[in-house]
Amino acid sequence: MLVVIETTLIYTFLLGSLYLLVSLGFSLICGVLRIFHLGYAYIFTATIYFTWMFMSLFGWGLIPSIAAMLVIQAGIAIAIYKGLVVRYMHQEEILILGLLFVAIILEQAALRFYPIQAGVYLETTMIPGLSKIGQVTVSNQLIFAAILGIVVTGLFVLFFLKTKLGLAVRAISYDVYSSRLMGIRVERVFMFIMVLVLIPVILATLAIAPIWAVDPSMGWGYMIIAILVSVLGGLGNIKGTIIASYIIGFCHSVVGFVINEPQFMGLSALIVVLIMLIVRPQGIARSETVW
Amino acid sequence: MELEVKRDRLVLRARGNKWEWHIEPRYWRNPLIYVGILIIVPVVVYFVYRPLLPTIIEANLLATIAIPLALMTIGTGRMNFGPQFYIGIGGYTAALLSIHYHLNPGLTLIAAALGGLLFGFLMSPLAIISGGLYYSLLTLLFPLLFLELTLIFVDLFKGDTGLAGIAPLVSVGSFSLNLLAYTFITLIMMLFYLFIVDKILRSRYAVPMAAINDDEEVANGIGVNINKVKIISVAIPAMMIAIIGWFYAHYYGTFSGQTFLPLTFMLKIFMVTMIGGRTQIYGAIVGGYFIAFLELILIRTAGDMASLIFPIILLILLLVLPEGLFGLYRKRRYREYKPTLHVRR
Repeated sequence: MLVVIETTLIYTFLLGSLYLLVSLGFSLICGVLRIFHLGYAYIFTATIYFTWMFMSLFGWGLIPSIAAMLVIQAGIAIAIYKGLVVRYMHQEEILILGLLFVAIILEQAALRFYPIQAGVYLETTMIPGLSKIGQVTVSNQLIFAAILGIVVTGLFVLFFLKTKLGLAVRAISYDVYSSRLMGIRVERVFMFIMVLVLIPVILATLAIAPIWAVDPSMGWGYMIIAILVSVLGGLGNIKGTIIASYIIGFCHSVVGFVINEPQFMGLSALIVVLIMLIVRPQGIARSETVW
Repeated sequence: MELEVKRDRLVLRARGNKWEWHIEPRYWRNPLIYVGILIIVPVVVYFVYRPLLPTIIEANLLATIAIPLALMTIGTGRMNFGPQFYIGIGGYTAALLSIHYHLNPGLTLIAAALGGLLFGFLMSPLAIISGGLYYSLLTLLFPLLFLELTLIFVDLFKGDTGLAGIAPLVSVGSFSLNLLAYTFITLIMMLFYLFIVDKILRSRYAVPMAAINDDEEVANGIGVNINKVKIISVAIPAMMIAIIGWFYAHYYGTFSGQTFLPLTFMLKIFMVTMIGGRTQIYGAIVGGYFIAFLELILIRTAGDMASLIFPIILLILLLVLPEGLFGLYRKRRYREYKPTLHVRR
């Protein structure tokens, strides 16, 4: 019984923190821009494949390749914002389909130039080896990713609470029109958020790249988790996102590691979200503001 | 009998009766002309270039999916991002019953339709309890989770390879004749769906649907039974889409979720809707043919690159023609009622 409780708690913490890192960006975009970023999946793929492209094509080291990838990702995010979000913010069906197409185009490009047989692998291990916590053995890299998730979320919360720009973001998430009247340059903040959300996703992808499978369609699975977390959390509220991440993490840890039926992890999370929607349709926290 | 050629029409007189046909293109609005073209084209293709028949079948099926989807979108006032879920329901129901119980296609049709209706009813409360964005997000997830289930229960669904050995729908001797028969079956399905949905959208039942589409709160205020309309608007189109899944299963003889449940297939359906002109049911036919033939041309000309070029072209078309091809026509002709697509909560 003790082992069961130990396993549940440890994996709830590890998976929950990781899911927080994965879904923070999606939730922020929902909360601030009030759009549904279905192209979110591309960020995971682009992180791995652009880094690999610079390493294999130009023979650059890991750090310069990551730096170049960051520049390209920021460029893509700005292009998406200016080309799609600004133009079609009020025609959401076009926006959503357009974002989905962007993700599919990047996935297909990765698949075309670096198929699975190409053996793409990024050595981004920060802490190698395994650790034994009680009766449970876990990868040190996973523990690192989980701690990273908490630290990054903490920094984001501090940023939103303690900085002037953070205040502007919170104001916009509360009421765009009033924020505009108060002199906030809403479009610039939107663009900033589009770039800012890349950070947790890129960090999450780089942290899990050495321990979990990497392929061009990897982003969809993570995006589904981000969607479930965001829906459960209340679409855009960080408090809700934090609680929802750990609920989904708990659900996955029970189904995957205690009941030992990992194939039902996705389904169990969806059932939890559906029950939550019936009981509390607005999600855990009402997304009136980002915090 | 006397045939007179006038400037804009042909006039036929016989035994005191008179028939007129407009020969100026601007008067060609009689649907029978287009139905005639849709009937003649497969016959011509059959005699001229038979490899095109599967593409015509695909075009008809894409349009057939888009037509009930338009009805669902208008009636619920929300965008369902997972119509392929019902294709999966219909397809797997037909496939499993055909393979394990050797039921004939007639009986599997009834089962698939009932399966679609049942799941439509089960899903319909979602359109009531969840707002626009929530609804879109959840409907997007269902087909993906269904796909996951098909990969988990490999013994039942046969995973990636799918279920094989489903009884064919028609068998008239030669392969080419079978294809022609399938083409006409899909054409009949498409026209039947078009007729039904057109009748519904022109009837008094469309008024509460349009009211919900425009503003749910106002509709509620004027006494529209929103829940009832939404449940019907989900369940009936779900059944119609499930029947297309039934057809796919019996047409291919195999059925795999990997073909129909991923996002790529959903995007194709949505592009048919968008190219056709957003929930414009006649435009769905134009969209279906456009998408199916564009894909064919790309596969023939671009080979491996087709899977990359196809979404790029679709993205460009989405941005260049926000009202679709039918929108070009509508620019010159006033549309009485234009439903909106709500995604935002």
